[in-house]
Amino acid sequence: MRFTYVQQFTYRDFPPDFPQRFPESVVTIPYHELVDPQRVRGAFRNGLDEMLHAARAGFDAVAVTEHGHCTYDMSPNPDLTAAAFAYATESEGIEVGVQVLGRTLGKTREALRVAEEYAVLDQISGGRLLAGFPVGLAYDANFNWGVPPVDTRARYEENYRLVMRAWTEREPFAWNGKYSQHPAVNIWPRPLQDPHPPVALTSIGTPGTTRLALERDLGFYLVSIGGDPMVATKPVFDHFWEVAAELGTDDNPYRAAFSGFVAVADTDAEAERLYARHIEYHFSSGIGHLPLYRLAMPGGIPPEALKQLMANAGPPPEGPPRYRDLVETGAVIAGSAATVRERLEHLARTFRVGNMGLFLQIGSTPHELTKHNIDLFTRDVQPQLRPVFAEYDDRNRWWPVRLGGQPASAKQAAVAGSAAGSAAGSTAAGSTAAGSTAGGGVAR
Amino acid sequence: MSASSGVADVETRRVRVWDGRIDLRVQVRGQGEPLLYLHPAGGLTWDPFLEDLARDHTVYAPEFPGTSAGDANAVHELDDVFDVVLAYEEAVRALGLAGATVVGQSFGGMLAAELASCFPALFGRVVLLDPAGLWVPEHPYGLGDIMAGPPQNIPTLLFHDPSCAGARAMFAPPADPAAALDGAVALVWAIGCTAKFLWPIPDRGLHKRLHRLSAPTLIVWGEQDALVPVAYAHEFQRRIGDARVVLVPQCGHIPQVEQPEATIAAVREFLGS
Repeated sequence: MRFTYVQQFTYRDFPPDFPQRFPESVVTIPYHELVDPQRVRGAFRNGLDEMLHAARAGFDAVAVTEHGHCTYDMSPNPDLTAAAFAYATESEGIEVGVQVLGRTLGKTREALRVAEEYAVLDQISGGRLLAGFPVGLAYDANFNWGVPPVDTRARYEENYRLVMRAWTEREPFAWNGKYSQHPAVNIWPRPLQDPHPPVALTSIGTPGTTRLALERDLGFYLVSIGGDPMVATKPVFDHFWEVAAELGTDDNPYRAAFSGFVAVADTDAEAERLYARHIEYHFSSGIGHLPLYRLAMPGGIPPEALKQLMANAGPPPEGPPRYRDLVETGAVIAGSAATVRERLEHLARTFRVGNMGLFLQIGSTPHELTKHNIDLFTRDVQPQLRPVFAEYDDRNRWWPVRLGGQPASAKQAAVAGSAAGSAAGSTAAGSTAAGSTAGGGVAR
Repeated sequence: MSASSGVADVETRRVRVWDGRIDLRVQVRGQGEPLLYLHPAGGLTWDPFLEDLARDHTVYAPEFPGTSAGDANAVHELDDVFDVVLAYEEAVRALGLAGATVVGQSFGGMLAAELASCFPALFGRVVLLDPAGLWVPEHPYGLGDIMAGPPQNIPTLLFHDPSCAGARAMFAPPADPAAALDGAVALVWAIGCTAKFLWPIPDRGLHKRLHRLSAPTLIVWGEQDALVPVAYAHEFQRRIGDARVVLVPQCGHIPQVEQPEATIAAVREFLGS
């Protein structure tokens, strides 16, 4: 298995009445009224130090995520912190992946900038970048950034094609897109990895997205927002492997990743004593404090899928969950190293997933306790789980070559041929672009 | 081509526009002079105001592309307001409605104003009911509460008195749960389709074009409109050559539903009918 430490830049010092005073943890939260600027600064210094600590402790990769107008992850552009981390680890000579769970391609108005930033990151890190491309959360892509929700998917698709083509095309090309136009794309630098960094689609696991990941041979990185993984996550991976079988792709567990909140202590009781209030902070004042209308806006979900969602919608939970409920349902994996090992191995084998993203700095967890969590995880959990799926270790094409992976499949960039894809008006330069990628493929 | 729709005396006509890429469905009802009605963001519903107009007009009410049952993807054929205006102008000509009166509510009012500005000879008269389409810094307003806010706030955004008869009729879900679900999905998707041309700020440049609108125009506005402030009645009026304003007291964003009598009276007086 491969283990990724995931960092968010959380404001860790809200007052206890935050959830009563504010209806959410994003978008509308008043900055000046609530923050001590030195504590914001501290969140960044601590967060970057924790990333470095995780790298030194032996994680395979360290990841950052993108969230705008957000209190639980003050990370409007994750490439910034990833760049600092990439340089620091290169300078120290740590062989660790630099994973950006993603610049959100449904949100960005500058897709070419994303291609450029990732290329720079790949150069700074010496070919250790893992590139993620999420669609973007409704509150960020559509609300904060003003993208009409009905356009999000089409924007994602076009931007994806532009990024992949900008990375792989050897000659300058014209791009006549619906969302951006460039007379001659010729970015400097190109990525160091050949044909390009491994790409993962970061998603909450809608059926269309899982299929897309398989069709393009992309990594699939599932981000869960909470809930019992056997209820919320298992159907996603069941579906994923069904589609894989249907498409005739291999069933390599390194295709996929799942993420979880993990807290390790000497005993289960000690874990509760150390982490309970910090985890409850996250679920009452952070990630758990998101109203439904921040996660879905009209137009973002097509009618058929919307009907399914609305028909299956249960009643909203009553009040913020308590630590014991979170642990009991598996929304949080906490306890002694043995408890955590057993739970994670069970999930990995049940989902058939070879990559884990671990959130070890949860909510208000302070700096020293976070480092403690990292130390225990990398000492008493990671080495013991390492052999799971080891038989696939020499066939991991979703991992940088420098770090033991195989080159990314040519399929990932094979859709890069045109601006508009299957939609009408595909007039990108009239060049033979698609044929020049390694696989020579054109759009499906 | 035509087919009967669910409502007894409504005929649905289909018009191929936009080089055949859009199969525009137009509900037609009533008898008399033709009148084009452009519905608001939530989609087309036949309210008492339209029924009244249909007593002595033939009301043509297109379903905005994407909002027709079973044809959700039609919205992706239109990229911007220019596309919408051209596609609708094609439909107006195909239906033989040139010279008719156009009535538009909210989003439909914006669309009516766009059409009449881009094609000044297209309509004989223009009626705008609390139209969207202008946004000036002196009177800021947002669609965030309606697009991305708690659903329980929507009645007070749309109505001065959310307990009025029209509001209660509008928010009463059908007794049949399956129909209620279909209705809710259709409403959300319709808002999503029209939001493509409204979100995040309902200003796609109409203020630059309104001076071209030369048809006699009636602007009706609910005095207590909590969505688009009543100040915009005058913003529209001062940009249009021949426009009069009627403000409806005790009324929010949808005068035809909240104050149907006053709205019908104002519109009928303007139309001379």
